[in-house]
Amino acid sequence: MNPDSKSTETVIPGMGELARLFLFIGLTSFGGGITAYIRRLVVTEKRWLTDEEFLPGLGLVQLLPGANVAGLAVYIGNHLKGPLGSAVALFCLFVPPFVTTCALGFLYFHAGRTEDASAILTGVTAAACGLMASMVFESGQKAIKGVFDVFLILLTFALVRFAHLHVPIVILIVAPLALWWHRPRKVATKEVS
Amino acid sequence: MNRILLQLAGLFSALSLSAFGGGKVVLPSMHQAAVGEYHWMTSQQFVDLFSISMAAPGPSMMVVTLVGLKACMPYGTVAAILGALVATFAMFVPSSVLVYFAGNWWDHWKESPWRHAVMDAIMPISTGLILAATWIISKTSIHTVPTAILGVIALLLMLFTKINPVLMMAAAGAISWVFLS
Repeated sequence: MNPDSKSTETVIPGMGELARLFLFIGLTSFGGGITAYIRRLVVTEKRWLTDEEFLPGLGLVQLLPGANVAGLAVYIGNHLKGPLGSAVALFCLFVPPFVTTCALGFLYFHAGRTEDASAILTGVTAAACGLMASMVFESGQKAIKGVFDVFLILLTFALVRFAHLHVPIVILIVAPLALWWHRPRKVATKEVS
Repeated sequence: MNRILLQLAGLFSALSLSAFGGGKVVLPSMHQAAVGEYHWMTSQQFVDLFSISMAAPGPSMMVVTLVGLKACMPYGTVAAILGALVATFAMFVPSSVLVYFAGNWWDHWKESPWRHAVMDAIMPISTGLILAATWIISKTSIHTVPTAILGVIALLLMLFTKINPVLMMAAAGAISWVFLS
């Protein structure tokens, strides 16, 4: 992808460097787009991984459940330093946001919803709604390959919104249907492991 | 107290392993459990906590930390921090363990045509779940014409510019503070 990172040698960092970078990421990553930010730091700037090593990891964490950022920390940590590297990267990623988030939480519940806080939060939340809605559009653009995908989106929405089912149950209901529809068709099914 | 910690651990580890497409897709379940089933907080508080977590540093699903914090807050400060720890751990560790072990089999998967099939199947489901999450957050927070306008402007900015979402949320907070209070 990036010409800079293609032919150059990668560097293996020490455990301390790995810890420092993920502490830094935890402290400086805001809102969405964190995976692109991690790629820039780890592949382009630090040259710890090539794109050929990073992108399959990104594909893996997008495929599996869970927060993509946490999964990437585990993948990168393991790639560079083995199991301990995974644990260190994941732990360091969460220490700074955990501390700041708890501090903000105490502030919110102890100060109460004052008029000022209320006004600010009203604006922030309205913008957050816009941000979430934009994700629906972006994700929908990638998801919709035919009319059936629109049906799957609406079915999923309806099961959560109107049937009030929990997300794991909704997935158990819709996933078999979606998998059946998107099953590999042109390829001989015998080679499926 | 112990019962709440167990509920937090059970709820968030289940959601951790079903968050296909990222943490946001389980937001509707989190809302339903925290507000409707366990009565840890009001819907307004949940949405406020979600906004705080979006504007604070770290992965956006840090709202789970705040849900854990609030759930145990009646039992004191130490209990609240313990609740936050349990919730955060339960949300992020199970899926991470899965990534760690699946990484070892990933090379075999790469050859399988099912990899694309699974990806194509997951995308519409995550989209539907994010739509449901957006609906729930909007329903609680967009009540007036000015908030609706702010929301629509935010949506358009996110779709058509490369503005940093946190800057945008900070600006929206400032605008709302100056003009709407």
